Amino acid sequence: MNDLRTLSPRAARRFAGLRWTAPALLATALVAGPGGARERVPFEARAGLDLARAAAQSWSPDAVLIYIENDEPLDAAGAAPRWGYLFHSAERDQGRAYSVREGRILEAENLQMKFEAPPVGGEWMDSGAALAAARREAGDEFCRRHSGQLSTMLLMRGAFQDEDLQSAAWTLIFTAPDTPSLFVMVDADDGRVRRTWRG
Amino acid sequence: MEPTCHPSRRSPGDHRFGAALALGLLVLTVPGLAAPARAQSETEVAVEKLRPQREKHPTLVFLKQNRDFIRYRFDQLRLKALQGRGDAGAIDPRYLAYSRMLAGILAAGDSIEVADDARQRQVLLASITELGGLEAQLDLMDRTLAEQRARLGILQEDFTGHQKTALIVVLSGDPGSAALDSFTLTLEDGARVDVAVTAEQHESLRQGGVLQVFHGFVEPREQVVEVAFGGAGWPAGDAGFVTLAPERDRITLLRLDLSRVRPAEGAASIRARTWLHDTRPDSRDG
Repeated sequence: MNDLRTLSPRAARRFAGLRWTAPALLATALVAGPGGARERVPFEARAGLDLARAAAQSWSPDAVLIYIENDEPLDAAGAAPRWGYLFHSAERDQGRAYSVREGRILEAENLQMKFEAPPVGGEWMDSGAALAAARREAGDEFCRRHSGQLSTMLLMRGAFQDEDLQSAAWTLIFTAPDTPSLFVMVDADDGRVRRTWRG
Repeated sequence: MEPTCHPSRRSPGDHRFGAALALGLLVLTVPGLAAPARAQSETEVAVEKLRPQREKHPTLVFLKQNRDFIRYRFDQLRLKALQGRGDAGAIDPRYLAYSRMLAGILAAGDSIEVADDARQRQVLLASITELGGLEAQLDLMDRTLAEQRARLGILQEDFTGHQKTALIVVLSGDPGSAALDSFTLTLEDGARVDVAVTAEQHESLRQGGVLQVFHGFVEPREQVVEVAFGGAGWPAGDAGFVTLAPERDRITLLRLDLSRVRPAEGAASIRARTWLHDTRPDSRDG
């Protein structure tokens, strides 16, 4: 899927593997301008979870993971440079989100809304496998037909599911100009596409 | 010395302040504070007059944009009967082992008592021919002791091997003539610790003591903590801001040195240093 917004992992590795010389660096800096965005290393959702969980348990020992969403654009392999992890503490009756990029917590904030989703649990497939399943089932065709792209991946339990609420599900949202978005829900347990809908 | 650490705003279950220790002399109780060799890794940090501004990065955008819809779905979900599978989850084998270990500990205790009774009787008999039996009893005690050590090792590994990210804040240095009645620490999420500084503690600082004013869990990320002192001569509402980046699963120490403090200049005149507390055994010990 070449129409996704960011570089593929292969391209990212090639990019990172280049032996930059001082003039090239200078030229890049000039082109990028002040505060120019450098390429961030994308990662799948699970890779940032340990750090986010360590922070959440410092915040509240009973914190449980209830939601994950990509905070920056996804690549073709289901990886993003930044992911957001939302935890809920029953003791505090509050949610707190951590945004992880490059092995660091970039942002931490309390969720200013009541959001008591059920815990996601520990057994769920990573974002790359979920995207592969969604693309096979409907995503690739949608993107080809409508010049679409993958915009959002989110992992949660319950909100979009009408049945089998015991396991978490990835919801992938493909968007395209002038046509309703495609939602693909993938069971995070077995990788089965549960349902697709337009909206 | 009575504890004088008073969290003024404490949310239910805020364990950080459950762990917050009383203000007290720490020269001997915080390893590393008194060890000059460890001080080499200290880093000076700025105490700024204004809170540093950081770029805001939006997070969970989809969730926030669609919160009404998602909350509606959850409300619907609560009305549905969950089709529970009823499957029991796998039990961590360690928990099963703990009950066996506990039984072993109790049995070992009984064995020791029986052996001890027998030994006391044998002492009374004081017969040379019974010394061999006594030796066997002592061997049994040694073996039991070794088994107990092994069990304790397992428990220590399971329960004390995981250091969480924590912050310790201490005050040191002779504040001179500066009046120092109180200290306030405010974490980035707004949680606040107010500490009254007594005359005795003030005197301790003057004589080279170190006062611990905070010990609690913090998030492993860059964050700004606000420090403020109260007392005659300190500007009203004055505060200093220190940027820290506590390392995950380590203890970060922040020392606020009051030896050059000038109340008229406010909290920004405090010198601050930070370092990681090394909990690993010191190689020089061996």
